[in-house]
Amino acid sequence: MTRVATLLLLAPALLVLGISFLLPLARLIGMSLSSPAGALAPYLELLGDDVYRKVFWNTSLFAVVVTAVTLAIGWPTAFALTRLRAGPKTLLFAAVLMPLWISVLVRTFSWMLLLETNGPINRGLLDAGIVEAPLSLLFNHTGVMIGMVHVLLPYAVLPIYAALIRIDPALLRASEGLGAKRSTTFWRVLLPLSAQGVTTAATFVFLLSLGFFITPALLGGPSNITLSMLIETFVNERLNWALAGAASVLLLAVTLVFVAAAGRSVQIARITEVR
Amino acid sequence: MTAVRFAGISKTFGDIVALQPTDLDVASGQFLTLLGPSGSGKTTLLNICAGYLAPSAGCVIVGDKDVTRIPARARNMGMVFQNYALFPHMTVFENVAYGLRVRRIDRAEIERRVTDTLAMVQLGGFGDRAITRLSGGQQQRVALARAMVIEPDILLMDEPLGALDRQLRKDVQLEIRRLHIARPRTTIYVTHDQEEALVMSDRIAVMRAGRIVQAGSGRDLYERPLDVFVARFLGESNLIPGIVASLDDGTAGLRVDGLTKPIEGRATQGLCLHQPAFALIRPESVRPIADGIQATVVERVYLGEIIALRLRLPNAQELWCRRFAAEIPDSPTQAIGWDRAAVSILPELSPEERNQVLC
Amino acid sequence: MAGRVALSTFAALVGAFLVLPILAVIPAAFNASSFIRLPPEAWSVRWWSVFFADPSWRRALFTSLQVATLACGLSVILGTAAALGIARLGGRTRQIALAVFVGPVIVPVIVLAVALYSLARSAGLVGTVTMLAIAHTMLALPYVALNVGVSLAALDPRLAMAATGLGASPARVFRTITLPLIMPGVIGGAVFAFVTSFDEVVLSVFLAGPQVKTLPVRIWEEIRVEYTPLVAVAATIMIGLALAAAAASRLLQRRAA
Repeated sequence: MTRVATLLLLAPALLVLGISFLLPLARLIGMSLSSPAGALAPYLELLGDDVYRKVFWNTSLFAVVVTAVTLAIGWPTAFALTRLRAGPKTLLFAAVLMPLWISVLVRTFSWMLLLETNGPINRGLLDAGIVEAPLSLLFNHTGVMIGMVHVLLPYAVLPIYAALIRIDPALLRASEGLGAKRSTTFWRVLLPLSAQGVTTAATFVFLLSLGFFITPALLGGPSNITLSMLIETFVNERLNWALAGAASVLLLAVTLVFVAAAGRSVQIARITEVR
Repeated sequence: MTAVRFAGISKTFGDIVALQPTDLDVASGQFLTLLGPSGSGKTTLLNICAGYLAPSAGCVIVGDKDVTRIPARARNMGMVFQNYALFPHMTVFENVAYGLRVRRIDRAEIERRVTDTLAMVQLGGFGDRAITRLSGGQQQRVALARAMVIEPDILLMDEPLGALDRQLRKDVQLEIRRLHIARPRTTIYVTHDQEEALVMSDRIAVMRAGRIVQAGSGRDLYERPLDVFVARFLGESNLIPGIVASLDDGTAGLRVDGLTKPIEGRATQGLCLHQPAFALIRPESVRPIADGIQATVVERVYLGEIIALRLRLPNAQELWCRRFAAEIPDSPTQAIGWDRAAVSILPELSPEERNQVLC
Repeated sequence: MAGRVALSTFAALVGAFLVLPILAVIPAAFNASSFIRLPPEAWSVRWWSVFFADPSWRRALFTSLQVATLACGLSVILGTAAALGIARLGGRTRQIALAVFVGPVIVPVIVLAVALYSLARSAGLVGTVTMLAIAHTMLALPYVALNVGVSLAALDPRLAMAATGLGASPARVFRTITLPLIMPGVIGGAVFAFVTSFDEVVLSVFLAGPQVKTLPVRIWEEIRVEYTPLVAVAATIMIGLALAAAAASRLLQRRAA
């Protein structure tokens, strides 16, 4: 009787996920292997063609750099959250969480407005005499970088913060009691203990960067084609489902490898908790 | 009021045997305590009675009905949990009224019964209070009221006083006892505290490792324990090891290394000649005797009107003695002895636990 | 002490970096002229009138609200039921179930979009509210299930036992005990589901049709061509709704606790 009940509870959700998630994915994988030119043809084409390889390389490189930058800013921010007094802490927390409620489209659009040649940033720099000609901040690496870092920063801060608050303050006191300088305690106790959170944050940000579509599409130039943008052109411009499927499978495969490696897919559930 | 019978109830979880096949009768209106250390199976038996656990074998008979297959919610039993399990989002009144609402009792009747029951547990006027604003003792009484108000066939209590401090615990024990005497209801109570069991129960079943070792009144268990485990569990005891030298019509003699005469006492079931056994002498039975065994006083503990002496016998065996201060002179040695009637010769394990009856 | 000042300053800078750019959209919507200047040379609300007078923008807003409501309702009901179901599973089955539910969170959204778009095309369901609602439900469901799952796990199992012992049926236990106590988790999940759907871009872009598009899709189309303050109006509406939802979530959760 209770087993039937459990089944009834799960069935509707599983049905929806089945037809909107599992089935389409399976089909897509199937389509990637059903090119008239042979099952592995699209994969070989993707991995063999210089143009496509460049896209993979650019996408990965960008993801790595964005991850590094967001971690570099994110760790101190998470650390500040653990150290600030109640008032400033609430404000910073709100600042970190607020962007997560806003659509990535709106966040990217705001940067389009700010970074344009006649936008407020360039005008400010010109008026202050810091530069003589407007900087090219849009439709290039710079614009994409700024946009992606801005969007992904909260995703870096939250897991690191979650790891930091789990550290027993007694450990830090013990370290100081044993005579360690503040910096020693930092490097040899605090930082290593936050490693789990850093790994989660890095994995999360890296994987999100790999799959980014909206932000590079709007803020980037011709040399900023990402893998997801490529997939979109396969579908909408070339109508080549085999290639689209193959590229998707590759992206998915890389994602799964990293998720498994970090072994922390449960941490994703923790992110929703902190909200 | 209904009686409960457990017939051949056992429970295994995979490889682990939580309950050996067990038989137990609880008379109608009786307050029975399942007493034992953790892991003894007492809570398992209680949960099987309530219907939260299905037994691996055996049946539970309430009154004259076999309820084994009946789910918990249809058994009309009132359970008081260890941590009270009060519904945090409801007031005291709503908590107590919950079982009555489920039974679709009309509003006026609910009002009357809840108010009466709350008054009975000394919580009159607390109806509107939020659960989170109650002390531990008050919460415990709400839990009791909630279980009693539905007029259950059986009242079940799972170590309900564990979270209370010592003094409060003693007060509540007496209160529960008074409530039971005023309105007897078949009750099964689980605890590991032997004092609590003695205060509250009509009958006690001592459990260990999944089986009932001995069941009887508090007095039976204290004065005539069946084995060393029960003797130790209830009250203080001196247990002197030896070999059974004689076994004859209710009396046994225990030969002890280093003592000239064997210790004689009441024979318990399961003794075998020439096999190891123990002599149980309660500390209050050890007294100064003019021509008794010469013992050295190793430690003297002053307990007000009682003095507890730790004595060493010539064979290095140690005994505790508890007597009124006036009876004990202030000397480093003492001649002590005891009445044979106050001694029990016990096996280490009762025959059932050893799975053997004959020697 | 210097360390403390540095930390506070750093925190303020990061906070500003995170919040201020987003807010820049708002003044953009009040430009009097037809191109966006930040800050505006002249302020006006004319573009707001244009927005609400334009049938295609109105329809986009309405479609967004419609889809979000459907997705919210579906994901809350299905997600809560799923959380209850998963809580009853043990061991390997639970791991597998969790993996399936976490799937839409892990798989890159472009892959989800392309896969679902392909299926929708063969089924002739591109450009329908139904398909959009299902797609958004797929995205939001895992979050609701996980969120409610956390609330369920925090619940004392003995409460349900006590209610059952007092004679309550499983349905009654759920209604009177479980649901009230997990309500904050359900509410949080519901609001999140609504906003996730309302904000969603990639899946919506693929699944939209000429008659049926959500607000983000409309914005996406406009931005790539030219942008007037009209787009900023739409974006401001999205910001307003998201922040209102965040505030409502906190308020409702506090009241339900």
